[in-house]
Amino acid sequence: MLTTPQPRSAPTTPAMDFKWPAEGIARAPYRLFTDPEIYKLEQERIFRGRAWNFLCLDVDIPKAGDYRTTTIGETPVIVTRDHDGKVHAMVNRCAHKGALVCLKKQDSVASLTCVYHAWNYGLDGQLKGVAFRNGLRGQGGMPTDFDVARHRLQPIRSESICGMIFGTFSEEVEDVETYLGPDMAQFMKRSLDRPLRVLGTHSQTIHNNWKLYAENLRDSYHATLLHTFYTTFKVNRLDMDGGIILSDGKWHHLSFARRARLQEAAEYSEAKVHSANYESALEGPELLHAWDEFDDGITHSIQTVFPNMCIQFTLNSLAIRFFAPKGVDKTELFWIYLGYDRDTEEQSQMRIMQSNLTGAAGLVSLEDGCINEFVQRGTRNDPECASFMEMGGRVAESEKNSRATETAVRGFWQGYRGIMGF
Amino acid sequence: MPSVIERPVAQSSGDWHREAADLIASYGHAIDDGELDLWPQFFTPNGIYHITTKENHEAGLPIGIMRCVGRGMMIDRVKAFRTANIFEPHAYNHIVGYPMMSYDETTGCVTARSNFQVIRIMETGRMDLYATGKYLDVIQKEGGSLKFRERIVVLDSRNVDVLLVVPL
Repeated sequence: MLTTPQPRSAPTTPAMDFKWPAEGIARAPYRLFTDPEIYKLEQERIFRGRAWNFLCLDVDIPKAGDYRTTTIGETPVIVTRDHDGKVHAMVNRCAHKGALVCLKKQDSVASLTCVYHAWNYGLDGQLKGVAFRNGLRGQGGMPTDFDVARHRLQPIRSESICGMIFGTFSEEVEDVETYLGPDMAQFMKRSLDRPLRVLGTHSQTIHNNWKLYAENLRDSYHATLLHTFYTTFKVNRLDMDGGIILSDGKWHHLSFARRARLQEAAEYSEAKVHSANYESALEGPELLHAWDEFDDGITHSIQTVFPNMCIQFTLNSLAIRFFAPKGVDKTELFWIYLGYDRDTEEQSQMRIMQSNLTGAAGLVSLEDGCINEFVQRGTRNDPECASFMEMGGRVAESEKNSRATETAVRGFWQGYRGIMGF
Repeated sequence: MPSVIERPVAQSSGDWHREAADLIASYGHAIDDGELDLWPQFFTPNGIYHITTKENHEAGLPIGIMRCVGRGMMIDRVKAFRTANIFEPHAYNHIVGYPMMSYDETTGCVTARSNFQVIRIMETGRMDLYATGKYLDVIQKEGGSLKFRERIVVLDSRNVDVLLVVPL
């Protein structure tokens, strides 16, 4: 086991006795979900490493002086907008003693002040003033060489794309659009590149390692088997026309389906999967009232961005999900339901009704709140065993004609191994 | 709603008050006893049931955690609970506080607010405080008995532990 901190600059050498199975990305050792040393290393190599993390939306901080707090991994973060409209991200930790500077989820302020000793920072995180800097009545105070210009809240590189603000601790990682790659960036623009409106938010505590949820988002194999509401009402079935596109680095993915071209597959009626025994008529069919929103015919999509977020379109229900690790076996999953500024009242109403499909109480998603915990509980005593993921092959490649595959899950592990040096 | 000290005593008594309090109490009992099929019957045919968070409610945001408009959507929720959704079996215990109510003679509706705490009991025996919040109700007479025309469940916390499949 790891006993001393490893240098951050050496991610290519394994930091511990951990060895990936010879079968490669078609296996994920259960130890990855329970080992606190691996979890610690992820904070350093992923969340504080060469990756972009979703922070918040542009519309969360519309005006000068607005701030929003969030986390990158477990590190507390502040995102502000200054008087020039520029966005700044910084660690939420006073440069003096390390106390949290901002305590609210959001606020609108003239400057940022630490409550402990009233150190005061500009909206860009630069230290402006220190209480009693010159002491009181000539006594005490900071040394004469103390220079406010040399102290600030630790800055975090940030960038805005499609109304979302991303942040990274890395100076080396490429810009967000290059990080996404052309396919992912293009589809993200298709879904989000117009003025957004927040329709509601909530969060869910899931009792599992964050990577189990990251896998779950990329697991198109489970979608219609576990989430049986979907299958039964033909909202989404694996026999629909659809597929999986992976980014060049394999760690982001896009899963899409077109509802209109539904074809009955014999496998569904023969397999006796429990998804088939529900009446197909809704008593309240207005739940699924929808309109064709895009020319490409895609009615369902999940697009992930490594490490911690996804953009979901379920019919017309548009949402961003992002998640924050809260320890090796606990994760907070955030839901942001969105519409566009241009939506008509009727369209807004459809998005509101369809929001019943996803979220903590989602008719087609609530199972994800517990299924990853079932894996966590099932695996925690056997760190040396590994999951088996060979549906659709053993490599991570785009699969444009089928979603009965674990290719995007393998893609996640390929990216994970790269950034972790495993 | 006028506070209790401003309100004439006579208005806080009467049949509607007791009947509305009974409706609020029996609603929680039905869910706690696992009689989920009764749940839609506590509402008028076009009744609204909406679970949201305090944060959304105060910001006037329309999407919360669950929204049913009409008994049909509630019946679908119950059916999904019984035959489609997958979750670890659990039960609730509702602790509902004394409801503050007012009666509008022109509309014949009772407006009520009550606080609640819900404890979730897992099959392993584990018990957790699962939800706290307030019920904001509009209650009206329907077919000789009182029903919820609207029940807005405002959760104090933004966060739901694990999942929500049984209505609160």
